[in-house]
Amino acid sequence: MKKVLSAPALFVGSGIFLVLGLLLAFWYSPVDASTMGYSQKILYFHAPIATAALLAFGVAFVAAVLFLRSQDPKWDRLGVVSVRVGLLFSVLVMATGMIWGKAAWGVWWAWEPRLTTFLLVCFLYAAYFVLRSVVEEEQRRATYAAVFAIIAFIDVPITYLSTRLLPEGLHPVVLGPGGGGMPGNMLVSFMISMFGMMLLLAALIRRDLGIEDLKERVADLKNSIGG
Amino acid sequence: MTIAEGAKYVAAAYAVILVVLAAYYLVSARRVSTLRRDVELLEEEVRRRAPKPGTD
Repeated sequence: MKKVLSAPALFVGSGIFLVLGLLLAFWYSPVDASTMGYSQKILYFHAPIATAALLAFGVAFVAAVLFLRSQDPKWDRLGVVSVRVGLLFSVLVMATGMIWGKAAWGVWWAWEPRLTTFLLVCFLYAAYFVLRSVVEEEQRRATYAAVFAIIAFIDVPITYLSTRLLPEGLHPVVLGPGGGGMPGNMLVSFMISMFGMMLLLAALIRRDLGIEDLKERVADLKNSIGG
Repeated sequence: MTIAEGAKYVAAAYAVILVVLAAYYLVSARRVSTLRRDVELLEEEVRRRAPKPGTD
C-alpha cells in the first residue's frame, strides 16, 4: 500500500490520467456549442486545477487544526507543504483563467465575484508565507501559521460558492446544484482530468513532505556535529 | 470565434500549465538531490567524529 501511495507512483498515475484526459478532451469531447467555442477546451484542466488548489487549502486547514490540538510539528510541515502546492495551483488557475477570459469574454480580467474571491485566496495564502518568514521561533511560527491558515480558509468556501450566491457574475456554474451541466462525453474527459489532477496534488504534497523531512534531517545532523 | 482563433488561447493555456508544472517538478527534484547529498556528507562527518571503538 505504501508503494502505491509513494510520490513516484502517484506521479506516474497522475501522468497517465492527465494525458488520457487531455486526449479525450481534444478527440472525444465535442467543441462547445455555446459562445465559448473551442476555448472551452481550457476547462478540462482549468477547473480540476482550481479544485485541487482549494482542496490543498482544505488540507492545510485540517493540518492547522490538528497542529493546534497536538502541537506535533508533522502537522505544521503538512500545512506548509499544502499551502505551497495550493499556491502553485492557484497561480495556474489565475493564468489559465485570464487566458480563457480573454478568449471567452474579450478581457484578461474582470472584477466579478469568482475571480475577485480567488485573487483574495492567492493573496491570503501568499501572506501565510510572509508571516512564517517574520517569526523566528519555531513553535510560535507554527502556531501563528496554523491560526492564520484557519482564518484564511474562510475565503475558500466563499470562493467556491461565489458563482452560486452571486449568479450575475461572468463565471458560469457548470457542475453541482444550479449548474448548467455537461454532455456525457465532455463529462468523461472532465472527470478523468479531475482524477489525474487529484493524483498530481497528492504526488506533489508527498514529494514536498519528503523535502521537509530531509531538511529536518539536515538540521538534526548539523546540531549533532555542532554546526 | 473560429477554431483557429480559439486554438491559440487553448495552446497558450496548456503551455503555461506544462511549463509551470515542469519547472516546479525540476526545482523540487534538484532540491531533493541537494538535500540527499547534504545528508550523506553530514552522516559521514558524524561517523568520522564518533569515537572509534577501543580508543579513549
